[in-house]
Amino acid sequence: MDLETVKERAGPRQFAPKDDMPEEYRKAATRMIQFHANSEVMGGYLEKPFIRQAPSIDRKLAFSAKVQDEIGHAQLLYRAAESLGVKTRDEMLDELARGDGKFLNCFHYPMESWHEVPMIAFFVDGAAMHRQATLKNTSWTPYAHAMDKVCFEEGFHVKHGESILSELMNGSKATQEKTQAAFETWWPRIIQFFGPTNDKSVHNDFAQEVGLKTKSNDELRDTFLDTYVPKAEKYGLVVPEYPRIEYDGELDTYHVNEDDLNWDEFWTIAKNASEGSHEQINSRAQAQEAVEWVRESMHDWEGASGAGTPQAAD
Amino acid sequence: MTDALNPEDLDAEQRAALEELLFRLADDEYVHGERLIEWQIYAPTLESDLALANVAQDEFGHARLWYDLLEELGHTEAELIWERPAGEFRHATLVELPFAEGDWADVVLRSYLYDAAERLRLDALVDTSYAPLADRVGKVLSEERYHLENAQSWLDRLAEGDSRDRVQDALDRLFPHALSLFAEPEHEEAIVDNGFRTMSTADLRIEWLETVIPYLDSLGLDVPEPDEVERPSARGRDGTHTDHWDELAAEFRRTYEELEAPEPARIGRERV
Repeated sequence: MDLETVKERAGPRQFAPKDDMPEEYRKAATRMIQFHANSEVMGGYLEKPFIRQAPSIDRKLAFSAKVQDEIGHAQLLYRAAESLGVKTRDEMLDELARGDGKFLNCFHYPMESWHEVPMIAFFVDGAAMHRQATLKNTSWTPYAHAMDKVCFEEGFHVKHGESILSELMNGSKATQEKTQAAFETWWPRIIQFFGPTNDKSVHNDFAQEVGLKTKSNDELRDTFLDTYVPKAEKYGLVVPEYPRIEYDGELDTYHVNEDDLNWDEFWTIAKNASEGSHEQINSRAQAQEAVEWVRESMHDWEGASGAGTPQAAD
Repeated sequence: MTDALNPEDLDAEQRAALEELLFRLADDEYVHGERLIEWQIYAPTLESDLALANVAQDEFGHARLWYDLLEELGHTEAELIWERPAGEFRHATLVELPFAEGDWADVVLRSYLYDAAERLRLDALVDTSYAPLADRVGKVLSEERYHLENAQSWLDRLAEGDSRDRVQDALDRLFPHALSLFAEPEHEEAIVDNGFRTMSTADLRIEWLETVIPYLDSLGLDVPEPDEVERPSARGRDGTHTDHWDELAAEFRRTYEELEAPEPARIGRERV
């Protein structure tokens, strides 16, 4: 199929592995899905310490399940990316370990206290949900199928994140203040989750033309703000003065003043070049390297017996 | 068999005996789960990560079932998990030990030793005289069977080739701690006489040794002689623990303390 035909036919779930897709499409889709899969792994990585630190046994169970879900999503997404025939899962996981794999800006920052947990588990996951809901209509069918399951599970995660936020904002004054401080730190990063404005986005136009993305960065960011500014306020959080968020009465939507955000930081992170990027990538890579001997043994068994590896239970 | 007993039927001695049994069950599962989660995200493959997370959540889920039975007897989650002095936890030292980085042989072997013991212990609770316990054993037992299979399937493979040395190292290190699973409870007589457990701890120990030693032997591993093993001074069951336990308890309580002892949140279920 040539690129012109792809653009003409572009629409929800239009293309599948049986179609002969042009290289530009396959590469763009791989980049997007690989980024998504990497982000699931790195998000799980960031949240993992809070399984231990969760302050109730129910929250602990929910958090362990959440981190597990992120790995499950990564597994699905790497499979959807593999179906494009550009890279294997092992190649993508190697790239992530080497520091060449890209992932969401928010997962490059360290998370140190429980007060920060809902910033990821409610706002970032809420933003992800918001974006992923539109990707159920992506043109690459295996990606859309993955989104069906991912969105279903993310719904529970966001609900749990909201419950943690509610608990914190009903806590002592000191707890509320620490939660507000965490919100102020994370808020600009959360807005940057949606990437640069349309005119500065590198891959946006093509991805939309071929139906991989169905909404622009700006549209997604604005509608996220419409939902989440009121939610933040409902729990007693005060939206920081900067970046300026302006309400557009005519269009009934919020806009952010882009110039108030730190784009140097964003682009440094996008290159995996921030201090946090190095920290998260290297410590994960070290943990992965430490079990390389197990993977090597597994290759030997597979070679020897043709038998599969021990499977995940359900 | 003794008539089925419910919380209101218990006299003081029966209650103390039952609580000792429940604390051991609950604390073992809770602390084992607390260590297993260290492997989430760090397991060798995505598939083994998912399987391990399932096991960890089962263990927490079982711990919660057993702690719920203690709540029926008047305890609260806050005092059971979040405020009980670390020296009052009754888990075996086997489950509190930290993992060395990348030591997948440890988690596999530890799980095997533990799951084999857990299965025997639960088998001996199927016909318990305590009705609320009898109601829950079946579900837990079916999940523990899967854990044991998963651990054995890994061990069968790791014991081949170069990785066997790593398994042997783990065995030498963990076996003395595993023996502490079978320290006799203070209220052993009451536990058995009242039919709370239908097998003695001494017999469970024998059955466990008769299960694990031939299996590990068959993998070409050198199992330490149980009666000659140098035992660590901390035994776990009596409240004595390794230093690792104090560190672990401080870590998992960090948020609880930072938030100044919030009411432990329940999700989608009522308090007992």
